[in-house]
Amino acid sequence: MPGGRCGDRYNKPLMARSSQKSRKSRFAFLRSPLLRWTLIGLVIAFSVALGLFTLYLVRLDGVVREKFAGVRWVLPAQVYAAPLEIYPGARLGLPGLRHELDRLGYRAGEELTGPGTYIAAKDSLRVDTRAFAFWDGAQAEQRVEVRGDDKGVVAMRVMGSDQSLDLLRFDPMLIGSIYPSHGGEDRVLVKLAEVPPLLPQTLILVEDHNFYEHGGVSLRGILRATFANLRAGHTVQGASTLTQQLIKNLFLTNERTAKRKITEASMAILLERHVSKDEILEAYLNEAALGQDGPRAVHGFGLASQYYFNKPLNELQPHEIAMLVAIVKGPSFYNPRRNPARVIERRNLVLKMMADAHIITPDEYQESVNRPLGVTPGGGGGAARYPAFVDLVRRQLAGLYQEQDLTSEGLRIFTTLDPHVQEVLENRIQADVPELEKSRRMAEGSLQGAGVVTSVEGGEVLAVVGGRDARYAGFNRAIDTRRPIGSLSKPFTYLTALEDGGRYNLQTPLDDAPVDLKLPTGQVWSPKNYDHQLHGQVPLYMALAKSYNLATVHLGLDVGLENVRKTFAQAGFDDVPQVPSIFLGAIDMSPLDVAQIYSTLAASGYRTPLLAIRSVLTKEGQPLNRYPFKLQRTLPEGPVYLTTWAMHKVIELGTAHWATSVLPPGEFYAGKTGTTEDLRDSWFAGFGSDRVAVVWVGRDDNKPTGFEGATGALRVWGKLMRDLNARGIDMLPPPSVEEASIDPASGLRADPGCPEAIQVPYLRGAAPQQYAPCANASKSTPLDWLKSIFK
Amino acid sequence: MSFTLPRLIPAAFLLGGLLAGCATEQGQIETSAPAGPAISATPQPGTGGVIPGTGALIPPPVVTPPLSQKYPHTIQDSGAGPAVLSLYRKAQDARAAGHPDQAEEQLERARRIEPRNPFIWQALAGTKLDLKQYDQAEEFANRSNDLARGNPWIENGNWRLIATARQQRGDSGGAVQAQNRADDIARLLSPE
Repeated sequence: MPGGRCGDRYNKPLMARSSQKSRKSRFAFLRSPLLRWTLIGLVIAFSVALGLFTLYLVRLDGVVREKFAGVRWVLPAQVYAAPLEIYPGARLGLPGLRHELDRLGYRAGEELTGPGTYIAAKDSLRVDTRAFAFWDGAQAEQRVEVRGDDKGVVAMRVMGSDQSLDLLRFDPMLIGSIYPSHGGEDRVLVKLAEVPPLLPQTLILVEDHNFYEHGGVSLRGILRATFANLRAGHTVQGASTLTQQLIKNLFLTNERTAKRKITEASMAILLERHVSKDEILEAYLNEAALGQDGPRAVHGFGLASQYYFNKPLNELQPHEIAMLVAIVKGPSFYNPRRNPARVIERRNLVLKMMADAHIITPDEYQESVNRPLGVTPGGGGGAARYPAFVDLVRRQLAGLYQEQDLTSEGLRIFTTLDPHVQEVLENRIQADVPELEKSRRMAEGSLQGAGVVTSVEGGEVLAVVGGRDARYAGFNRAIDTRRPIGSLSKPFTYLTALEDGGRYNLQTPLDDAPVDLKLPTGQVWSPKNYDHQLHGQVPLYMALAKSYNLATVHLGLDVGLENVRKTFAQAGFDDVPQVPSIFLGAIDMSPLDVAQIYSTLAASGYRTPLLAIRSVLTKEGQPLNRYPFKLQRTLPEGPVYLTTWAMHKVIELGTAHWATSVLPPGEFYAGKTGTTEDLRDSWFAGFGSDRVAVVWVGRDDNKPTGFEGATGALRVWGKLMRDLNARGIDMLPPPSVEEASIDPASGLRADPGCPEAIQVPYLRGAAPQQYAPCANASKSTPLDWLKSIFK
Repeated sequence: MSFTLPRLIPAAFLLGGLLAGCATEQGQIETSAPAGPAISATPQPGTGGVIPGTGALIPPPVVTPPLSQKYPHTIQDSGAGPAVLSLYRKAQDARAAGHPDQAEEQLERARRIEPRNPFIWQALAGTKLDLKQYDQAEEFANRSNDLARGNPWIENGNWRLIATARQQRGDSGGAVQAQNRADDIARLLSPE
């Protein structure tokens, strides 16, 4: 090789010459101006490109830093049910308690292995409760033994001590999130330090083996994936690191272009220069997409744990962690609810990798690989379980907070929902509405139902069901169905009359006779009784109990339309039309509206705006706001008592008599049936001393159903109140009311000589003074009367 | 004289009822707590009637205040459960420490357990006073009165509370009236 002489110093001049010559000849082409300028152009272009790329990187670096520092997790408000509280004397038996714990995601076992576990025995239950930050302070984890039976809790004790416990509050059920109405991300934020270490270990093992070694991009990973893909002939392995995946999820789109890949890789490298591996990991754990629930995108492992397993992340077992890591690859393809077999297969692959990497023991592997997925049934799992109630919460929050705060600030909303009451209401509507439908041979799915249950004192909305499919987050009939309420309106006309104790009492005879009313439109309104009969003179309470239309219209006309409208407004509903047909219920209301006005009756005339929210905490668990109920006496206690008494007669001997066949004997409940024209809507609204319940049954297309209030909604209501163990009304008259023994035939005072006498309440001083003919026929003194008995 | 069992049974019941001073008849709704107020809210008209068969007026009954000893003085002797008492104590502590909202929270929990316990409503009215929600304080005290079923110990406390609430919102006349009610009840409760 001629160059071999190059090292010879003696040949240097020659070499120089030769070199010059050679250079001359080598660069001879530069003599061509075209080529020279082309080259210069290329060099300049390259330099410019390099400069631009550098500028691009600098800019990208700024973007990465700014964006990552400014990452504000979209944190929809989390909505919680009311916490379950148990205490000695609580009417929740141990089987019921076990059921509630199961619904909270507590795990039954042979030993207490940590928070969220319990041991059930015949007459006791030992439980390790979860810590939780309530409005009134953080509550620590506790191990408690609960003693009781099928009927209720007898005693409670802190385990490991003799200390008895008066009250035990469990962590509340997460029932939904407030994410944007058009759909969006939902997540429960987690901190790396609080995550079970097995989760990040498994994630790294499966998704990015060299996570702690690479600088954002893994050349080794790329080579391995390329080799695997070439061998398979198609893409079988991705080469993206966790950092790249995070970058893509946070800032980029899913498009598969070289430009996007270059940007992603560049940003990944830059990101790794600014933040620690743990920060990247934590961000990944919160960002990863892990499922789709209708319009809601399930993001992050915190929410995924609730969504699939109905429990917090730190309670997950190896097979559950393996499943979550397994589905990261493609939560749609690996959908545990739709494709369980496919997911089990991949989960087991993950478990095998875990065992091979010795992050789980062979025993754990064997145990885990044989377990089912353990995913909770139903789409929503713990979250999005009660769409109709969460819809109500959302509406009430809308007046209190900005939409953006609700959908992104991670507020924690504590609501009034009672999961037990909600479950009972759902069960009744789901069981009874199809049964009613079948009884009338209606097309399957054509009959709908909705219901609301509230607490009498405090006006708390305990349960809402918006349709027979309680999980369906669509049309919320409990709030949005506004239908004529039929005879549900009658108690308010009667109450208006009974407020005027000088003119009306429960025994006042009403004229159940035809009435023709000329309306402002020129039309003549001629209402009829439901049975098309005329009943003549009927006592006021009986006209309500039997729901006589004509007597009611006469009464309404007598007390005045405006006064009846005023009573409605005082009860909590002021959108009442100014037409006499309101006496018979030509008022469009939703079941929730009805619950509001019946609540005022149930609470002896105190109006409390129905509330679904108790308090709101920040995402850090700091108290933000409380929403205590507000109370206002709007209706007088005495007349409300009299109306309630008559509404009890509706059940005892009136249109709702069927309810006595299911309700506990000896307990008093008050209510009213409602039926609308052509039997389109069937209503029942009523209450005991602790619960108000409203049930509507009808069709979405507003066609006739063939059900009256008594044959439709009442059937649901009666069994609902029975299943709720609703307490009866304490029928002790208030001070403004006195009771008198009355002869029903004459409506006058009775004495023991009147065999049919009934005890009737009156506003004090308004009871009839005159004695009935039957009393006149008896002896004038009790002693004489006694003698007559023994004669 | 011959008796038949069906005729004897009502007679025996009636006799028992008469001896007890309150006739229980068919159709009467049972009551479980002492009825009637210690002092009625409005002057009561006479509730006399006409003597059967004679047309003569029955003189109005003499209203005597119920024995205050029958009524529980405090929530501790009201039959409240240990859970409620525990929450009530916590509420008292919170109130004493100047945290009425915390007190209210505990009382709300207690109210959910025993929704018709007038002592809880009275304590809630107290927290409303602390929170300067005077209208609500009065409403809650009134509700407590309704549920007290004539318990003068509770009514006395509620009327004093109402007097304070009215005073605080500038209704001096109303405050005096409420205080008078409280004083009237207090006189009934005093041994002299």
